[in-house]
Amino acid sequence: MIDSSAIAKALSGIAAHTATASEELCSADGALGDGDLGITVSKGFAEAAETELPDDVGMALFAAAKAFQRVSSSSYGTLLATGFMAAAKLEKGKTEIAPDDIPVLVAAARDAMMARGKGNLGDKTVLDSLDAIAEALEGATPETMVDTAITAAGDAVEQFRNQPNRLGRARMFGEKSIGLADPGQLAFLRIVEGLKHG
Amino acid sequence: MKKILNNPADYVDEMLEGMVAAHPETYAQPVRRVIARAAGAKKGKVGIVTGGGSGHLPIFTGYVGTGLLDACAIGDVFASPSAEQMAEAIRLADGGAGVLRLYGNYGGDVMNFDMAGEMAEMEHDIRTTTVLLTDDVVSAPKEEAEKRRGVAGMVYAFKIAGAAAERGGDLDEVTRIARKTADACRSIGMALTPCTIPQAGKPTFEIGEAEMEMGMGIHGEPGIWRDAIKPADEIAEEMLERLMADQPLAKGDRISILVNSLGATPAEELYILYRHAKQKLDALGVEIVMPLVGRYATSMEMTGATITVIKLDEELETLLKAPADCAFWRV
Repeated sequence: MIDSSAIAKALSGIAAHTATASEELCSADGALGDGDLGITVSKGFAEAAETELPDDVGMALFAAAKAFQRVSSSSYGTLLATGFMAAAKLEKGKTEIAPDDIPVLVAAARDAMMARGKGNLGDKTVLDSLDAIAEALEGATPETMVDTAITAAGDAVEQFRNQPNRLGRARMFGEKSIGLADPGQLAFLRIVEGLKHG
Repeated sequence: MKKILNNPADYVDEMLEGMVAAHPETYAQPVRRVIARAAGAKKGKVGIVTGGGSGHLPIFTGYVGTGLLDACAIGDVFASPSAEQMAEAIRLADGGAGVLRLYGNYGGDVMNFDMAGEMAEMEHDIRTTTVLLTDDVVSAPKEEAEKRRGVAGMVYAFKIAGAAAERGGDLDEVTRIARKTADACRSIGMALTPCTIPQAGKPTFEIGEAEMEMGMGIHGEPGIWRDAIKPADEIAEEMLERLMADQPLAKGDRISILVNSLGATPAEELYILYRHAKQKLDALGVEIVMPLVGRYATSMEMTGATITVIKLDEELETLLKAPADCAFWRV
């Protein structure tokens, strides 16, 4: 059952796991950007995990989005908060997230993040991770969803590794980005893995 | 860096504290880095909020006041405020009739303000609309006018939309008028020397002792040419020509014009620019209404000026002349 306390537990798990991965993410980001992605992500989830969540799961996701954005207003931070917010809007007024809703929520997050970041699928960004997860979750049983999402997020990193970045600061590196994991996709893999640590 | 400050990290907060302390009848800071009218939101009136980085006074926070803005979120020097601060500004501006977000077109501000709108709707059921200023004609070609940056045209937008809200227009009406104002504004800047962001400690760009740059943006964004400084009349001539190439002016048109200092340029030099602008517009048979000459939208201690022209119709002119009051400007 995914109620507000399950969301809190998931956020703690992600906060712990991304804190461990912080250095790895910073160095991946340092190769293509300003090298603070690990801090952005781990700080954002730490703040969200410490926030008291209301019983309304929509408002709980909203509180997480706000907390995340408060400490992490880089573009990646704002995009993740946008994703949380899109899901929050759909769940407002409920006390539990139905498993069937999950692929829908991931897809809604993906669409809202695409609109805000003005990005397209295939640009080698976190949007591709969300898209891969939304697709993989279609028809997955509730028990297998976390593993399915982790596999999809990991596959996205590998699938895009040998393509150039086409959006954001990493785009400036063009051909040099070929062979490197996209830092945003890698961060999202660590985030999804964090669900197992909750 | 040579600046009057205590600690660069405290620059913005100490500035806001001083501003509110100096003008308590006008400004209040109910939430850190959110300036609102001292009297609070007016019940039943459409709220108008803006936001952006510090370093441009009187823009942004200075124009909170009667007949102008209701609230403003303010970030570090030249940096966007957070979405949460912007959402707080929306909440503080709301008198129950919805809120217009009226600000300049900069990527970070847009992302955060859109997010803030969603937050205010989710948490407080406040309806919001957006109008962006895109008045800097050299920042993108006419075909991509929606990509242009917003500069001193904001002053006219705050004034005219503020008057529309004050006289009781509903959210759609205030939004329509703000949109119309933004569409009627054209601006261009030029600079002689850079400014220094306190936390960066060094100038935003370098320029030769005898050089000027035409078309430079309000944060030192590159302009269109850099060369030996020209006489004032030639500078004013070129600026007006570029504005009129984008929005033609003809005999009988009524406009207002803002000759604005980027910070360090003295009023004396602004009047020398205005003198030529007035001669040129007179010769064309263009009528100037309520000319503004002074420091309205600055870039810290940058030396330079901007010229903004707004083409008026009867509706905009009436609203431009309506009463307004803040610590920096009275109409």
